[in-house]
Amino acid sequence: MKSEILHAKLERYVNGESMPAETRQIQTWLSCTLTDAQLTAEERSLLELEILQEIQAYTAYPLFYPKKEKPWWQKIAALF
Amino acid sequence: MNLILTNDQTLIDRLSLNDTEAFEELYRHYWKSLYLYCLKKLQSPEDAKIIVRTIFTDIWEKRYSLPVSFCLSRHLYQEVRKKVINCLSQKLSDSTERTYIEKRLITEFSVQSLQAARKPVTNAYTVINKPSELIRQQTGQSGNEHYNTLATIKWMVLSFTDKFSFANLLSYPKN
Repeated sequence: MKSEILHAKLERYVNGESMPAETRQIQTWLSCTLTDAQLTAEERSLLELEILQEIQAYTAYPLFYPKKEKPWWQKIAALF
Repeated sequence: MNLILTNDQTLIDRLSLNDTEAFEELYRHYWKSLYLYCLKKLQSPEDAKIIVRTIFTDIWEKRYSLPVSFCLSRHLYQEVRKKVINCLSQKLSDSTERTYIEKRLITEFSVQSLQAARKPVTNAYTVINKPSELIRQQTGQSGNEHYNTLATIKWMVLSFTDKFSFANLLSYPKN
């Protein structure tokens, strides 16, 4: 399949004008999750933090709703 | 990171009270599945990051207007699929990205590649749906021994699928 054909198919799908067979093909592609990529623990924690920081930058929620500082006894209790 | 696992619905309820910790817990629970799914579909870490960010930004911004019957896993499932298609469509309209997509993604739309989505997700799933008689013949077990094994397998699979229900939602529904 050429990219022009796929583009036309996707456009029709997005606009809700695709044929049932096209819908089936696209939805099957979306559901095909057999070989999935894996992340190392390091990559994972880095990415997690990176995306969270981006979300925080976009929504600015830490500015409006700052985290409450935990009392010292709760911090000590968390260590155990 | 909060190690206490809380029910999604409780966390969603806390979102409307501007609870940022609940939001971050939801994010930590789901971001990886979404990211890996987008990465696999679009082969672009940058696009995958943008999609995950957009989905969670939308949830935070719409936290006051989430319906009572809001199901987060269903919402994420629908959103991630919608956004992947939109992203791919946008990429295809860009002539610089077209050749790259032709090389890597177009083959995934072939009939042979799509057959993989129609196969059962796990072998364990097949075991659950197999008739008992067939399993008994294959395993060579009989009587209580067979039923005990089957019950153990069922229990293990069901507890596993309960824990990873979102991952299952991304898989193709069986006929």
